[in-house]
Amino acid sequence: MIRQLSIFIQNEIGSVARVTAILKNNNINLRAIASFDTPQFAILRMVVDQPEKAKTLLIDSGFAVTMSEAIAVELEDKPGVLHDLLQVIADAGIGVNYIYSIVFRNGKVPLIIINTDNLDKSKELLLEKGYAVAEQGDVGL
Amino acid sequence: MIWAKEETLTRQEIEEIQFTRLKATLKRIYDKVPAYRNKMEQAGVTCDDIRSLDDLRKLPFTVKQDMRDNYPYGMFTVPKKELIRIHASSGTTGKPTVVGYTKNDMAMWTECVSRIACMGGASDEDVAQISFGYGMFTGALGLHYGLENIGASVVPASCGNTQKQIMYMQDFGATLLVATPSYALHIAEVAKDMGIDPSKDLNVKIGLFGGEGMTEPMREEMHRLWGSDMKATQNYGMSELVGPGVSGECLELCGMHVNEDHFIPEIINPDTGQVLDPGEKGELVISCITKEALPLIRYRTGDITRLFYETCKCGRTTVRMENLSGRSDDMLIIRGVNVFPSQIEEVLLQVKEIGAHYEIIVDRKDYLDIMEIKVELCDETLLDSYAKLGELEKKIKFNLRTVLGLDAMIKLVAPRSLKRFEGKARRVTDLR
Repeated sequence: MIRQLSIFIQNEIGSVARVTAILKNNNINLRAIASFDTPQFAILRMVVDQPEKAKTLLIDSGFAVTMSEAIAVELEDKPGVLHDLLQVIADAGIGVNYIYSIVFRNGKVPLIIINTDNLDKSKELLLEKGYAVAEQGDVGL
Repeated sequence: MIWAKEETLTRQEIEEIQFTRLKATLKRIYDKVPAYRNKMEQAGVTCDDIRSLDDLRKLPFTVKQDMRDNYPYGMFTVPKKELIRIHASSGTTGKPTVVGYTKNDMAMWTECVSRIACMGGASDEDVAQISFGYGMFTGALGLHYGLENIGASVVPASCGNTQKQIMYMQDFGATLLVATPSYALHIAEVAKDMGIDPSKDLNVKIGLFGGEGMTEPMREEMHRLWGSDMKATQNYGMSELVGPGVSGECLELCGMHVNEDHFIPEIINPDTGQVLDPGEKGELVISCITKEALPLIRYRTGDITRLFYETCKCGRTTVRMENLSGRSDDMLIIRGVNVFPSQIEEVLLQVKEIGAHYEIIVDRKDYLDIMEIKVELCDETLLDSYAKLGELEKKIKFNLRTVLGLDAMIKLVAPRSLKRFEGKARRVTDLR
């Protein structure tokens, strides 16, 4: 499993930039980021190379931040591979909460980050099916 | 038309009636309501010390907190069995302010509202649509009984479902509308959207407005939308006193005539409690001198106004109170509902997922009051999913609705993002 940060941001000009500024000033490398066009506020999700440090810095700057786990799976770059993975999870009766991805990995295949109703069981199932599930060390670079 | 002869008595006649009734009511309260008797004893005043109307000022005030402290029936002077109606207004943490009526109280209430309806131009020719919310609030049923009593045809439309309201007005030929001024303006806007011009296509020529104050700009707006010939008056009352029926404007529009044979008004300095001279601005204090179930003596309304005793051009001699010019406390009136910021605070402080700071923004959109409350998220574990944050919003909304009887918009904001105050916090912004 990998660790992701969820940050509460208000829908205001510059709110995401305030977060990225803190990462930049502290030399923290952002691996993945996801946010959607919600009307009032958003949960900004990120994977970074130093999650604990980033969390502390963000909280000290007044952000509400939580760190949680997610599954990161290596996927080959060809049609239908994401479908096959999702089908494994669906067949087990597990719900998917959200998906985003890490694309730049210095030549390695991309990682799909996935959060489900039952992380442990999902991970176990995917390992059984032969998927490569990444750990935090794999995203640090 | 002047409904009752009591509206045109000489000052001396009115005062004689007031004094006799005050003495009798005070005696009953002293005997039956320990809470007020204790206040009198603490103030060192007895019923016998009240030898003239001027001595009224010797008596202690009654405040809203007295009603809460003696919830539900502690301020009542009759056994519960004699009540034929109970109403309530919203209160802190679900405890409302309870008011009760005996058969005679209902007759008195109906009489007072009948007078006010006539002051505003109503008659037995009218089809009166009541677009106040029916239920525990006194507004709708008060006007309902009064208008029936003068012989008008009452349409108890209640509030909401505005398009249907407009259909009723058209189909039933409503000539008179009872609503909060802001809802009346909203109805007119919706009618326009439906392609109906209220000033031409509807026949509503009388508006009896209440539940919230109507400023002069609002009255102008009312005329612009409903037609310059609309008789747009406002009336005043509050549940604790009787509901609507305490006072109302006549068509001369120079203040609201108080039904003085039932209610004695005084104006005090809200800080010192000192009675002020006629014409001076201060807090309105009202004594109920004919109510059986719940007669309150020197009740502090919190409303700021002035009193004028000169005879009105309409022929009525009763004292007139000026359009309200504010509150002596921080009470807000939102869609006709009384809201104290402290009530909101109590609800918010019980929600552990949010912080102690908050901001209330009251505004008006399409003539309807809206309230937005900003709260700081402090439980970061909810950031797992939008669903959890949504549930938190819903929970706060539900708790507020339970206490206030009103819907508020909840806006979650980041921790420590709301303004902090060093002195007295200014948490309410009223943009209306």
